[in-house]
Amino acid sequence: MEHFAQWLAQTDVSVAIQTHLWVIPAIQSVHIVAIGVVLSSVLMVDLRIFGYAGRDLTMPQTVRRFGSWLWGALGVLLITGIVMITGEPVRELMSLSFWLKMMQLAIGIALALMFQRALRHNAQRWDHAVSARVKFLAIVTLIVWLSIIFLGRLIAYDHVWGSWSMRPLE
Amino acid sequence: MDITTFLKQIEASGFATWIRDSLYAFPLIESCHVVGLTMVFGTIAIMDLRLLGIASVERPFTRVKNDILKWTWLAFALTVTTGLLMFITNAGVYFHNTQFRFKMALIALSGINMLVFELTAGRSVGRWSSDRIAPRAGRIAGALSLALWIGVIFLGRWVGFTSTRHLEPSQEINLDNIFQ
Repeated sequence: MEHFAQWLAQTDVSVAIQTHLWVIPAIQSVHIVAIGVVLSSVLMVDLRIFGYAGRDLTMPQTVRRFGSWLWGALGVLLITGIVMITGEPVRELMSLSFWLKMMQLAIGIALALMFQRALRHNAQRWDHAVSARVKFLAIVTLIVWLSIIFLGRLIAYDHVWGSWSMRPLE
Repeated sequence: MDITTFLKQIEASGFATWIRDSLYAFPLIESCHVVGLTMVFGTIAIMDLRLLGIASVERPFTRVKNDILKWTWLAFALTVTTGLLMFITNAGVYFHNTQFRFKMALIALSGINMLVFELTAGRSVGRWSSDRIAPRAGRIAGALSLALWIGVIFLGRWVGFTSTRHLEPSQEINLDNIFQ
């Protein structure tokens, strides 16, 4: 991985990002804006599941309202994420936080797909009463996305993992 | 007491020193700040997009707002608290940082924008709440709010690149202090 990161850092496109100093902060900002859309979409669906918000909407209506924004924002996150990896490959790829984040991301996406599938089969039932299992998964989903935000920020501080860090403090 | 002395004093306080010296405190506080600010932005965007007639148009504006605004304030409280904690670790630098000052100005403008909205379109909300799109004053407030908060996020990230951070691990590529 280190060889790959160092090779990537020397490619033309990576050098171009590194030499235009505004690119990384600007792309990071777009990334954060998109995270705002993802987190709030997950939050609104969760609040609907628990009956704290949007009770005038059915579950399918709620998911239709926020689902497309969630997937759209995830697309933006993927693109801006790839630009950041290309611009700073060693910083990203040589960090435990990054790989834990990717793992959590896979779980978060799997949970969202599972939820949408389950909703299609149980739409009517869920509008009357959501089962404890679904409520539990809703909380797990929110925690997974919160952990993704934490891990994303911790990429800048990989030393917090101590000896597990791929980039320990000198 | 002048401001420089005051900033030095809060920087030297036991609490600020503890955050600075801890390996974990600052990264975790900063992560909570990101959670808070993304929630502030995302929930405000839901209301702004409703005003602009882009999303949630089938629901009355007041219903959207009543559902969401309390979560926005909760998230805002988390963001301000964590922001203050980060500020005290390096108060002098942040205070004189141009991007930081612009960021505070934009947050103040967002507050003014919200007040103006409440005093204009907000007063007659009963008349247009169920319309798919808000009257002009509401649309302007919604668009301004979106632009201001996106500006706050950009400036906030920029502050991170222009203010010195304690404890910078050595790396092959480190763009964190690039603007110095």
